Amino acid sequence: MAIIVIGNPNVGKSAALNRLSGSNILVSNYPGTSTEISANSVKIGKKEITVFDTPGIYSIFSEGEEQKAIRDLFAMEEIDLILNIVDASNLERNLVLSYELMDLGFPVLLLLNQIDRARSLGIRINERLLSELLQIPVIPFSATTGEGLQEVLKVLERTPRGKKDALAKEESQEKKESQFREVSPVGKESLAQERCFTELRTGQCNGHCGLCSIPATTCMSIADWGRVEKARTTAYMVSSNLGERQRILLEKTQAFFDSSLWGTPVLLFLAYLAFVLLLKFVAISEGPITALLEPLNQTIESFLSQILPPGIINTVLSKAIPEGLIIPFSIIMPAMLMVACIMSLLEDSGLLPRYSVALERTGSFFGISGEAIIPLSLGFGCRTPAIMASRIMPTASQRFIVITLLSIVVPCAATLGILASVIAAFQASLPIIVGTMIAVLMLMGFVLSRLMPREDAFIYELPPLRIPLWSNVGKKIKMRFSGFFTEVLPLLLIMSIAVRALLESGFLEIFHSMETFTRFLFGIPAEAFIAVLVTIFQRYLAPLVLLNLELTPREATIAISMIALSLPCLPAMVMTVREIGWSGLVKILGLGFLTSCSVGIMLNLIL
Amino acid sequence: MTINDMKPGQSARILKLNRGLRAGRRLFEMGLVPGTRVKLVSRHPFKGPVVLQIANTQIALGRKMANSVEIEIQE
Repeated sequence: MAIIVIGNPNVGKSAALNRLSGSNILVSNYPGTSTEISANSVKIGKKEITVFDTPGIYSIFSEGEEQKAIRDLFAMEEIDLILNIVDASNLERNLVLSYELMDLGFPVLLLLNQIDRARSLGIRINERLLSELLQIPVIPFSATTGEGLQEVLKVLERTPRGKKDALAKEESQEKKESQFREVSPVGKESLAQERCFTELRTGQCNGHCGLCSIPATTCMSIADWGRVEKARTTAYMVSSNLGERQRILLEKTQAFFDSSLWGTPVLLFLAYLAFVLLLKFVAISEGPITALLEPLNQTIESFLSQILPPGIINTVLSKAIPEGLIIPFSIIMPAMLMVACIMSLLEDSGLLPRYSVALERTGSFFGISGEAIIPLSLGFGCRTPAIMASRIMPTASQRFIVITLLSIVVPCAATLGILASVIAAFQASLPIIVGTMIAVLMLMGFVLSRLMPREDAFIYELPPLRIPLWSNVGKKIKMRFSGFFTEVLPLLLIMSIAVRALLESGFLEIFHSMETFTRFLFGIPAEAFIAVLVTIFQRYLAPLVLLNLELTPREATIAISMIALSLPCLPAMVMTVREIGWSGLVKILGLGFLTSCSVGIMLNLIL
Repeated sequence: MTINDMKPGQSARILKLNRGLRAGRRLFEMGLVPGTRVKLVSRHPFKGPVVLQIANTQIALGRKMANSVEIEIQE
């Protein structure tokens, strides 16, 4: 048996599914958390059920990758039931999608999710009447309290496999296709056609009259209007409002964050506080961690140099392993931990989307719309999931801009940590490096947005503020932070050994012939330029090479700026290919290389 | 009159969407349909977005989008 979970964005589909199936999908408080269809197997009673969780959509008939993926799923899989998750406190708009789903001809089970929140808002819904009107089962549900869970499980157990008979399926298929293929039902009467003309003239095209070639997915059809009308009437009939009630503290806080005057300054101040907190935390924790690790490192070093036969391997390993341990633990670990905490709190409280709105105007100066704030800020944690989150962008060109900025400019937590350590080690100029990065961000966004015209059509749903669920925040911090042990630490160790081997073997001497070239162009020694090239593999590894060189503050400033603004790391590249294809990656790589070199040349001229 | 002419705290009813098809469809899907009641929550400074309350959801709209939604003020 296969069921598919569909609903508007941020109604709690993943949370409901976690409650129903015991799965562990990460949930957040902003629209667009799930960007992919995921399949899970659950056993309910004696039944083995495949559950497809889908990204939130407002309409199944509109254009967009998510909608297309869901429509394809209906075509490919034998779906036995649609589980329509509805936000109980926002029935009218949610029901439009419910009516669309019912029009598809599959059995639908409607969950009135977040029923507890609706009740606290003073909304009462007559679910029995709703069920009668829609002629489908309706169950009030709360993913937080578990209300309605037993009823849902009962319905799922009762639902027979392949309930829909072949005839009904064929019929709905035809209906679906006429919706998708923007064809009009034949034989329209002249009166209807005249109405179409009027609607076309007044800008309310109906897409199904066959008088123009505009695809039905981009305009409103008569069927769409009909569903809106039905949803409005139904919602009016089944819900009642208990009238004015006391506003709770959370709503007052939300009103404060959303106020015209205070909202933006307070949000910016919070962001500044978070940044200061991050830097302070890294600075404070570095000392104690190093002090703790020092004895261990000495033990490892003496142990290795004793057991290994004397020679180059001995020198390399006994030096490289302690080096490869101290940097990740003392600098990268605290930075990653802090970024994970801050990002998880921002996501779950509902503050992150408020940054999108507050910074929309600023973003538009350099070519990105407000939605971009979410993937760009996620990039400070790790770029790979951030590239996936860029699906939130409304158009493909906007998406390319965001992925490019993420790949080239935005430093991830691990990069931030290690950059900070190299800057301190060489006394490089922090203001110049940060200034260069901001200048490149603005310039690149500005140029890209002029090359790719965008439609100024910012529209975004703001979720209500919530007190984060600590268990969920904890789960996310763990997930984000686990990357330290599985990815950062092993890679740094291996690279540290490789770098040490290169240094000890004298292999880097070969590159001395490039010295005049790199000095003339970028004002840095050839070895530092090698470090820039290493960024292809993993940006945060490159400074490791630098730490083994002797550089003046000026050389270090140039080299670090070139590293900070260069190519994306391997995992980010893989994700880029998956999301926008090889051609997108090639463009980004070209741009990254160009940026890095131009930054080097410019700084060499200016400094 | 459009949403841009509203003051924070004011309520209005949507009359018409004057917008290209693509953006019009997005407005429509978010619930900005003729006949719907909206309340202006806030206007961000420097011609930033406006935040609307529709039923129990909040929708942020860029000024250009807001300019294309015709309304009539309801007290």
